[in-house]
Amino acid sequence: MKTPFLITTALALTLGTAALAEAPTPRAVLETYADIAAAEYADSLSTAKALQAAVDALIADPSADTLQAAKDAWLASRNPYQQTEVFRFGNAIVDDWEGKVNAWPLDEGLIDYVDASYGDSDENDYAALNVVATPVFTLSGTEVDATDITPDLLANTLHEADGIDSNVATGYHAIEFLLWGQDLNGTGEGAGNRPYTDFIQGDGCTGDHCDRRAAYLKAAADLLVSDLEFMAAQWAAGGEARETVLADDTAGLTAMLTGMGSLSYGEQAGERMRLGLMLNDPEEEHDCFSDNTHNSHYYDGKGIQNVYLGSYTRVDGSVVSGPSLSDLVAAKDAALDAEVKAKLDTTMTALGALKDAADNGFAYDQMLQRGSIKGEELIMGGVNGLIDQAKSFERVVAALGLDGIEVEGSDSLDNPSAVFQ
Amino acid sequence: MFRSLAAAVLLCLPLPALAATPADPVAAVVEQLILPGFDRLQTSTAALDTAAQADCASESPALRAAYHDAFDAWVLVSHLRFGPTEADHRAFSLAFWPDTRGFTAKTLTGLLAAQDPAINDPDSFAELSIAGRGFYGMEYLLYDDAFRDPPEYACALIRATAHDMALTTGAIAEDWRDGYAQGMLEPGTDNSPYRDRDEVVQELYKAFTTGLQFTSDTRLGRPLGTFDRPRPKRAEAWRSGRSLRNVELSLKALREHGVLLAGDHPALVEALNEGFDAADEAASRIKDPAFGDLENASAWLRADLLRQSIDLIREQQSANLGAALGVAAGFNALDGD
Repeated sequence: MKTPFLITTALALTLGTAALAEAPTPRAVLETYADIAAAEYADSLSTAKALQAAVDALIADPSADTLQAAKDAWLASRNPYQQTEVFRFGNAIVDDWEGKVNAWPLDEGLIDYVDASYGDSDENDYAALNVVATPVFTLSGTEVDATDITPDLLANTLHEADGIDSNVATGYHAIEFLLWGQDLNGTGEGAGNRPYTDFIQGDGCTGDHCDRRAAYLKAAADLLVSDLEFMAAQWAAGGEARETVLADDTAGLTAMLTGMGSLSYGEQAGERMRLGLMLNDPEEEHDCFSDNTHNSHYYDGKGIQNVYLGSYTRVDGSVVSGPSLSDLVAAKDAALDAEVKAKLDTTMTALGALKDAADNGFAYDQMLQRGSIKGEELIMGGVNGLIDQAKSFERVVAALGLDGIEVEGSDSLDNPSAVFQ
Repeated sequence: MFRSLAAAVLLCLPLPALAATPADPVAAVVEQLILPGFDRLQTSTAALDTAAQADCASESPALRAAYHDAFDAWVLVSHLRFGPTEADHRAFSLAFWPDTRGFTAKTLTGLLAAQDPAINDPDSFAELSIAGRGFYGMEYLLYDDAFRDPPEYACALIRATAHDMALTTGAIAEDWRDGYAQGMLEPGTDNSPYRDRDEVVQELYKAFTTGLQFTSDTRLGRPLGTFDRPRPKRAEAWRSGRSLRNVELSLKALREHGVLLAGDHPALVEALNEGFDAADEAASRIKDPAFGDLENASAWLRADLLRQSIDLIREQQSANLGAALGVAAGFNALDGD
């Protein structure tokens, strides 16, 4: 079985490009893909550095203004970062790493104080550990000295402690919790409302242990920057992620479509959007402390569209673009290319409607309220668009002859998200 | 273009051999497995509803027997997550599991404490969180005595849950009978969501691979955890002692599904049967039907052997089946984290 499939794939790619002069080479499409990744991670990094500086300013001089500036910097960094999520599922180097920066959902009581209504967890013995208040504790039978809160402690001891995914000690959502605090408004109006006094050193400190809280926030911000530095370098010239993608046309194109499809269907439409709706739980939103979920979903969708169209608008307004997957598909099957573009547009219109509603005061957690017809309509609009576009991505896989590759050594067991076996 | 030509050649080659017995694998799966499976689910869930209305005591033998019958019927179709099961959150409301953050307990505790009147009307019940509904919510009500107060309300909740499940399974079976099955058999027609036969075959193949993945990674992988840190309380339906039974039933359904899809490739059928025989053999060695003994090293290894035997089917027979059918697995709901 193996040989015929590989030969046909090679033939299909060769003939397809030979027959139609305007079709880009797969190599050129993959270079655009890597260029977009490099630009998106570089923008994530530069905005994370601005966040790091704002956190330093908040700690040096806690005030309502410096706290707000740090929140604004966090929000600004989310937009480019979310657009990179499409690189996750197709690229093992990203998938193995991304839990450090964007793990969710989290049992935030691991990190700092929470409300009495927080409740214990059957699954997680450390859901209410509160490292900020606890310099020494026992973790999975080992005593941990957390007197000094360092990036190393967060990354190598606390993160995913006891093998539990929801013990999230690092990344955007840990920082989000430290800046906003718990959102105690349920499906009512309002986000988390942590007072800036939680960071005052000495007299005036609220929430106790302000020194340790500030140390935690600083360690988490520093770690976010160093983690993003690592990933930006992987996509720059000579970086491992770029080299891997460019090493093999078929595998590279498969990585592109795997990322687009897995993010659309299983992750965003399923785990992040539909599940929360069906649970009617206000904590089941991706940016639950800051009420920024609408942007998080919107820019996830945007990232998928960027990859297909081969174009990314950077945070400074400049555009990175080049030969695209869309061009490649159009040369093979113009109707299919039109279908994919239309479906991406439909999804972005739906996610745009959701974002507009939230920007105008109808927050994502209010949409999750039991019986909210308008909320269900907005969320399901996005879900349906994402599911529908994934179907068309499967057609692209078939049209480009990327199916049947599986026989060539399957990593799907180690990496279930590598769906094209 | 060339790919589909190659696929056509692959599909055509065996045709002369089976001209005498035109067994279409799509028709075989739809008519022999899917339609009877959802009919059985509808009938048994209606019987559960009847039993709950007759006697809602959580320890009632008749109620519990009806619950197990209906749950059996669900597991036998639980890998068929497309089309009618996905409309209106139907399958989610029947089967919210795994529950990684305790939503089921939280939802039921909230309903019982508030004596929420939403349960008095089927429409408002259908608006409730999926975490409190369906087979897994009912399991708490029947088998965990922390969810029995106040008794009158707990009784009404059991009845409302059973009724909701009966309505949902009825709607799924009806959609399958009234059009969806035909849409699979006649792709490319106006009422079919499938453009061509390849898309139908891919859907059925994807259901097979996703089912294997769920049983291995989730039904077994969650309670197994790691050798040093097993998680028996993460087993599926351990309260009612069904954890192993669900694995066995899902393997039974997946074997039937795979064999029907393999249809006229006798060597593949034989290989599939060998793979599933090995898995059944491994399952028969497991001692605790609720996986409560996984902290014992040899118990853990026995359960891990079962998982490995399923992964072997995924790696070999399932991959070969996909190649023979000329389809890729596509995207499934388990993608992501």
